[in-house]
Amino acid sequence: MIEAKQLSKRFGDRLAVDQLSFSIERGEVVGFLGPNGAGKTTTMRMLTGFTPPSSGKVIVGGHDLFEEPAAARRLVGYLPETPPLYPEMTVAGYLRFVARIQGLPKRDCAEAVDRAMERCGLKEQRRRIIGDLSKGYRQRVGIAQAIVHSPPVLILDEPTVGLDPAQISDIRDLIADLSSAREGELQHAVILSTHILPEVEAICRRIIMIQEGTKRLDRPLDELKAEGQTLQMLFAREIVGEQVPSAGQGGAA
Amino acid sequence: MNGITVIAGRELRSFFVMPVAYVVLTLFALLSGFFFLSKLLDFNFTLMQLQNNLAFDPRAADQLLLWNLNDALITPYLASLLSILLFLVPGVTMGLFSSEKANGTDELLLTSPLPISSIVLGKYLAVVVLVSLLVGMAALFPCLLFLYGDPAPDLGLVLSGLLGLYLVGLLYASVGLFASSLTHNQIIAFFLAFVLCLGLLLLELGVGDSARGLGGVVAYLSLVEHFDNLLRGVVDTGDLGYFFVMIGSFLLLSKASVESVRWR
Repeated sequence: MIEAKQLSKRFGDRLAVDQLSFSIERGEVVGFLGPNGAGKTTTMRMLTGFTPPSSGKVIVGGHDLFEEPAAARRLVGYLPETPPLYPEMTVAGYLRFVARIQGLPKRDCAEAVDRAMERCGLKEQRRRIIGDLSKGYRQRVGIAQAIVHSPPVLILDEPTVGLDPAQISDIRDLIADLSSAREGELQHAVILSTHILPEVEAICRRIIMIQEGTKRLDRPLDELKAEGQTLQMLFAREIVGEQVPSAGQGGAA
Repeated sequence: MNGITVIAGRELRSFFVMPVAYVVLTLFALLSGFFFLSKLLDFNFTLMQLQNNLAFDPRAADQLLLWNLNDALITPYLASLLSILLFLVPGVTMGLFSSEKANGTDELLLTSPLPISSIVLGKYLAVVVLVSLLVGMAALFPCLLFLYGDPAPDLGLVLSGLLGLYLVGLLYASVGLFASSLTHNQIIAFFLAFVLCLGLLLLELGVGDSARGLGGVVAYLSLVEHFDNLLRGVVDTGDLGYFFVMIGSFLLLSKASVESVRWR
């Protein structure tokens, strides 16, 4: 559904992302892992077209993001690191605005907004002013704006950062719910960036690990579990470069 | 086209919720009312003086003939509003793009399918609506003169003066939009817009006597040159062209400046 082809991004002399390639299908929840400053946010911004890559391509649903931007962008829902909210708007008013700029026709907006609020548990908050909401609810509004136009691809940049444990588990349930099949609704392809390992283990089915802008690992989580590897160990080995004794070999049996 | 009205609608609603719009409209009503009243009292005072002098000053009769609402009230009133807009319009435009950057909502707008030109035009349209309200309010006071003035002022002169004021407001709005696209700090956006608008006004001082060579260019860029013609009731396509060219240029600059986020 979304495909990155040898994406690179250079800021001045610094290579933030180097020849990154991967592709993600509907129904997949991919954990995008890496330490702070590994290039996760830069990669996500390239996938959404906010930052153009220095070289490489992004293909969304068969459309090149830079040659047919409008067609490709319609297929992507994006929650940036800070939810892009207008504090003076009401929840429903804001979601209606997002639905409109994402290209939904006016007559479909009310229904789309209702559905997004329903899924994110915002029904009671529809008339509240966003600036008055708690952080957890604001994060939900952020997710609601990403899914309001039912995009097949969802890109979430650290969706649970700064939330309390109860809110974190709510948001995780919501993400898991979005990737599972529902009657009459298509599954989303979800990319989720984080550096919280238990979060990945809880909701992702595949992980892509990057460090200093290069891909270190791209495998289904089940496989790794079957080999007896924990993310903790992988992270230590791939990223920190520690020699972890008998990480893979011992547990494979 | 659809996207433009969606952006403009959101922007306008936020003007009225914030409530920038009410503050600006109130200030403008107070200041324009004050200017109008003071010019009106001034006008009456001089008129009475001239009438009293009629008996013993032979020149008073000629002066009285020249003393009319058009030159002594309408023109200075509209000219004084120019300086009010200089403060108010940058106050309206300062948040247009800078607050998006500060809120992080620029990521939402710039990753949406809307072309950048629609975003820029939508925001501009919202300010155009507000400037229209301001100029509409400025027109109320001259309307009183049509009701009670005897003889009533020249309708053509009033209309062309108001058109001039409107065009200046639209030009300030495009300058403010551009200034706002350059920074994420609203205060900087305000002062930048203010200085740029002031610069367009002050160019007049650099014109000097000879409008040749560089002087001619400066004279053309000077806002006052073109506004003065409209204020005197002269509607020249050259002056209208000036405003359209300048507004168009600042809109294009704004678009380029918003796009430049993608080049970096």
